[in-house]
Amino acid sequence: MSFIKSKWWPWGVLTVLSLIILGFFILYPLGVLFSNSVRDESGALSLAGFAQLLDNSMFLQAVRNTLVLGTSVTVLSVGIGVPLAYMVARYEFPLKNLVAILPVVTIVIPEVIVGQSWLLILGNNGLLTNFMEQIGIELPSFYGWTGLIFSMTLVYYTYIYLGVLAALRGFDGQLEEAGLSLGDPPLTTKLRVLAPLMLPAVAVNALVVFSLVVGNFVLATLLGSRVPLLSVMTYNEFVNEMGGSPLLQSAMSVISITIVGIVLFLQKRVVERKLYTMTPGRAPNAVRVKSGAALMFTGCVGFIIFLSLLPLFIVFVAAFTETSGPVMKWGVWSLSSMTRIFRSAPEPVFNSLIFASIATLIGVIFAVLASYLIIKKRNGLTQTLDYIVVLPLTISGTVMGIALVQTFNTGWLVLAGTSSIMVLCYAVRRLPFAVRNASSTLFNIPDSIEEASISLGVSPLMSFFKVMLPVMKASIISAGILMWVTTIAELAATIVVYTGGLETMPIAIFRQIDGGRLGMASAYGAAMITVILAPIIISIKLFRINLFSNA
Amino acid sequence: MASISIENIIKEFSGNKVLADLSLHIPDGAFYTLLGPSGCGKTTLLRCIAGFYETDGGRLLFDADDMTHVPTHRRDIGMVFQDYALFPDKTVFDNVAYGLRARGVAKPEIKQRVKQAIESVGLSNLAERYPAQMSGGQRQRVALARALVIRPRVLLMDEPLSNLDAKMRTQMRDVILDLVQEAHITTVFVTHDQEEALAMSDKIAIMDRGRIAQLGTPEDLYGMPVNAYVADFIGSANVIPVPVEPAQTPATAYYKLSGRRLEGVRAGERFDADNGILVARPEELSLLAPDPVAPNAVPGSVLRRQYLGFKTTYRIRLQDGPEIRVDQGKGHQTIDPHPGDSVQVLFPAQSRIISA
Repeated sequence: MSFIKSKWWPWGVLTVLSLIILGFFILYPLGVLFSNSVRDESGALSLAGFAQLLDNSMFLQAVRNTLVLGTSVTVLSVGIGVPLAYMVARYEFPLKNLVAILPVVTIVIPEVIVGQSWLLILGNNGLLTNFMEQIGIELPSFYGWTGLIFSMTLVYYTYIYLGVLAALRGFDGQLEEAGLSLGDPPLTTKLRVLAPLMLPAVAVNALVVFSLVVGNFVLATLLGSRVPLLSVMTYNEFVNEMGGSPLLQSAMSVISITIVGIVLFLQKRVVERKLYTMTPGRAPNAVRVKSGAALMFTGCVGFIIFLSLLPLFIVFVAAFTETSGPVMKWGVWSLSSMTRIFRSAPEPVFNSLIFASIATLIGVIFAVLASYLIIKKRNGLTQTLDYIVVLPLTISGTVMGIALVQTFNTGWLVLAGTSSIMVLCYAVRRLPFAVRNASSTLFNIPDSIEEASISLGVSPLMSFFKVMLPVMKASIISAGILMWVTTIAELAATIVVYTGGLETMPIAIFRQIDGGRLGMASAYGAAMITVILAPIIISIKLFRINLFSNA
Repeated sequence: MASISIENIIKEFSGNKVLADLSLHIPDGAFYTLLGPSGCGKTTLLRCIAGFYETDGGRLLFDADDMTHVPTHRRDIGMVFQDYALFPDKTVFDNVAYGLRARGVAKPEIKQRVKQAIESVGLSNLAERYPAQMSGGQRQRVALARALVIRPRVLLMDEPLSNLDAKMRTQMRDVILDLVQEAHITTVFVTHDQEEALAMSDKIAIMDRGRIAQLGTPEDLYGMPVNAYVADFIGSANVIPVPVEPAQTPATAYYKLSGRRLEGVRAGERFDADNGILVARPEELSLLAPDPVAPNAVPGSVLRRQYLGFKTTYRIRLQDGPEIRVDQGKGHQTIDPHPGDSVQVLFPAQSRIISA
């Protein structure tokens, strides 16, 4: 008893408990998925599923398309993100401060809204499509490669931009000055000194973008109807097969996990080893650019920001525009779409609010506990905890949803078809982000504060509540808000697990688009964005919480 | 208030013995300093006394109470940390009151004791401030008040002054000494700053690789270092291996340096008759003209001269011997040679010869 008291109570016990819970809700479903992928209908071990896939030319095409899409979007995102970051870090020009909203944009404009609004502009019946048609220019169809690459690049370039910007700001300007002082001309100094140090940051974020594109389901399914892609094919297989053998959907899921796994392995093993630790130095002052150049800089940055923000406006405009079937009557204002969703189908709004709130509560409590154990109470088991917590990052939403349904639709714990599985999806998918948020705060809190409390006679467990929690309060609130607003927008996993009555706002938007009712979709979109923006604005304006310091 | 007895304590980190069978007795009310370079185990020892580390062997007693397996929060200690470790979300008052509240002290008493503690560190008008609004010196005063207000049995201080600037550091020494003397509290103070240790301690334990190299008063350590490590750590010293003649009297030792026979004093532990180590502090040596040959002096030439105002230091190469440092205080200078000049270095007859 005294052994348990001194060594294992309370943190050891809590570590084990966390491992059991995470193991059950993350590792176990993945195990089921893997095991289902190698079992035939009789339950015997068999590789028939994989063999069948490799024989299927359609499937091979989808894998190829997915890789091509991933590469193109990554290259384009780097092409936009890196120059943008460089301009912002090193130059001073009019309206530059507008870029501060970019990190917010990635969070408040969900993919489903991006896809939908670009359909409103460039789709078959789109605003710009029709306009161009009138003046005799036929735009290429937005469905397919054009739309996929265009919209995904607009969603993902911010990842490269933010990562490279952080690296540029951490770069010690004296290194460049050292290069110059050694007689190297400015341009070659940049190539020889700056570029090698920035390359790893670019590569890390590029690999992240690549894996996100591979796992992307939302834009892929909205815009890629003519291009078979792995994620969409996996989802379709799941929808077709409901009730049948889960063999093929599992095998496909395993293949997409493998692709992302390889990418992340590359990132860990190859790229992160090349990350240099730089002594934090004085970042070079931004240079003010003049007239012509300034106009160009402002123009470039302004255009990118305009494209990023456009979906926000379009959705609101469309939500209040008269529709007749699939046709938007632009310029004719109407409240009919809005009143229809609130009169006849408000459940998605309530469902979203309820599920996201419960998931956030569970997720934040768990994230604080897990990151506390990982950062402050290292023991033999916390390393494992650290690995399991980030695991959901490597698994696309669709695959996660399939694994959860396959696992919890039979047996002693049946969650499929209940709201619990929706909450579970939300909590599991956002857990890595919440943990990362909490961890970075905890990392900056010195151990001595807690030790001071213990030395003053307060037990370790009570010290956590009396000292650590109050210090973490602000970051817990911001982590909670971030988790809440991002779960509200979750679609890829919940579209797989939801059943009648559990529809959320993103699912409603998706189904309305699928049915060609863009007005209704926009009305749900406007409601969703309002719900996302409200807490962000309130917390920034009212409580002065810096939500995006860790984002 | 209590004495601290550390008996054969062992602490390992992944098989590495950071504290190797260490024993130390600190009497009630004494101010002891653990001094040594980083990695010598001084902070580890302090954290074992505090209970932040579970020991791998040995016993720890406060008076006669065995504390070895008592968790930190029941040891009744006061601790002051290097980074102050004030609770950032609490005011000065609440920081200082924290330990009293944990002990369930009645409210009026808390108020009175906290007020008094804050007053004793000279911060009466800052009770409602938050840590972020105060300077380093003020924060450390709050940390002191917080540790002392609970009237702990022992006070543990982990490099409390090292985050302060030089001037504040000397000022805080007096603040700390006044407070601990008034409270008559047993104090263990960890530092790597020898001046701090000399200025504040009743006794200093110089630590080397998990052991105590020497325990003694500041005067003992400076005047009678038991080995070259201690001699070099406390103050600066010329440490020169020399052949020693077999002992004739228990106290004097005759040794050879640069071909001359010199007289010194035996110090520290017994040593083997042939080999000793001469420990000569730069300020104990003096410079003489090269002629005439003086007793107990060694010829050499000046390599470098540095003028420092209150003293001048010389780097001197002894003839067929090592380089040494000689400091000549302002006003005690016999000659002022320059690089290239020949000189004699006078080693006083009290120079210590210790075991090799």
